[in-house]
Amino acid sequence: MNWFKVMTLTAALAANTAFAEVAVIVHPSNAATLDQAEITRLFTGRGATFNNGNKATPLNLSESAAARADFDSKVLGKSSSQMKAYWSKLVFTGKGTPPKELNSDADMKAAVAADANAIGYIDAAAVDATVKVVAKF
Amino acid sequence: MKKTWVAACVAMACCATTATAEVNINGFASIKAGKASSGDTLYGYTDEIDFKNESLFALQVQSDLGEKLSVTAQIMARGRNDFDAEFEWAFLTYQLTDEWRLNAGRLRTPFYKYSDFRDVGYAYDWLRTPQSVYDLGFNTIEGVSLYHSSNFRNMQSNLQLVFGAYDGEVAVVGTESPAQINNIVGATWELSQDWLSMRLAYLVGDVSIEASSLNPLLQALSNLGLGSVAQSIDFNEDDGSFFGVGLNYDRNDWLMVAEYTHVKVEDSFYANQDSYYLSLGRRFGAFTPYVSYEKDEDDAKPEIYAALPANFPLRPTIATIVNSQWFDNSTWNLGLRYDFHPAAAFKVQFSSAKDKFTNSKDSLMALGVDLVF
Repeated sequence: MNWFKVMTLTAALAANTAFAEVAVIVHPSNAATLDQAEITRLFTGRGATFNNGNKATPLNLSESAAARADFDSKVLGKSSSQMKAYWSKLVFTGKGTPPKELNSDADMKAAVAADANAIGYIDAAAVDATVKVVAKF
Repeated sequence: MKKTWVAACVAMACCATTATAEVNINGFASIKAGKASSGDTLYGYTDEIDFKNESLFALQVQSDLGEKLSVTAQIMARGRNDFDAEFEWAFLTYQLTDEWRLNAGRLRTPFYKYSDFRDVGYAYDWLRTPQSVYDLGFNTIEGVSLYHSSNFRNMQSNLQLVFGAYDGEVAVVGTESPAQINNIVGATWELSQDWLSMRLAYLVGDVSIEASSLNPLLQALSNLGLGSVAQSIDFNEDDGSFFGVGLNYDRNDWLMVAEYTHVKVEDSFYANQDSYYLSLGRRFGAFTPYVSYEKDEDDAKPEIYAALPANFPLRPTIATIVNSQWFDNSTWNLGLRYDFHPAAAFKVQFSSAKDKFTNSKDSLMALGVDLVF
């Protein structure tokens, strides 16, 4: 049991060091409002449209990007492993395909700025006027 | 029929690559080793270390043909079959509307909660799905499946209607025999929200099995004018039914999964089977230890021979076949999943199965890695 306490403590400490905020971003022309439940729906493939009826294209950061693990845990409430297990259930049964992955905050910003349907997320410190922030976590 | 579907799907997949489409290639693999205790056998393992029995590799090609049509083919090589590659899935998907989707081709029979992805070990915590429940066979069917998914409030509903047929082999009284299930009609419904989900499944079909080992007995009964007894033993377009219910809880890192299934085939010597399992686990960061209990209870049908005179010469033979169906087995499993890598999980599981009728116990230690790519 002590061994498990050590493991959880280590995990907790690791989580505390990652204090950066994650900003969920859309194209500046996108007037949709989004709460955590709606963002979760779009990033788990359970919804494909914004609440104004427009098509939504979610974009993920790759696992090497710092904001990915924060987004998975703070917004989706899962670890990156759990999300991978979730998507493998859908992918290998032909029920869905995970969001396209981009390698960095800069790539994400460029992709969202160029697509009126896109929704993505980056480290809040990397936000600029090319994108619109709809939520911060 | 099977081959035609596969050929059609492959042909379409190939055309797609040259024409327009976006092709996704994914795969998964399991490398597992196990060893039963001295003198024991369980799940295909003996007391010699075996690296092949539960290892497998699979590749999936999915191609979006545009206009809401896509094609998916999954090729799997199982160690158990000497890694001979076989098509497990090959189907077309047509997205009728946002909520309705049609799949046609070679599909996984939707008996259980984990039927669709039981070979994708990475998708669940156990080293293997609970065998007391996941042991029916008839894993793939050729046919069509209609899916309806919808959200209301914070709940998600997934309805699947399936129609098709099975054509393959099953083991009857120890020999592999050609088997068909025709007119399979079924429905599954899964209702889920963030941390709780519930699933119901009901399927029926006409079961025919050409069990050659039974033929001399069936022939003898017919010759004696006891055709009705022969019919109550054999599988000749007999009504089979499957009922399953599943429950899943996943909250604050506590995990619970339970499933119960009931299977029967009318007018056959096949026992009425009741099976269930209950699994509890707890996530500690990357570590998920779990414990599960499984039970498989099969009731034979002595009523088949009960009315025959005690001195009827074939009575003991019939009784032996019918009574071979009695089964009462319980299994404990203790295991651990460790997510040591973003795309791979290490697993270790100890299983101990007890057969109440033979009063024997078999235990097994297995470990391995499940990965997705």
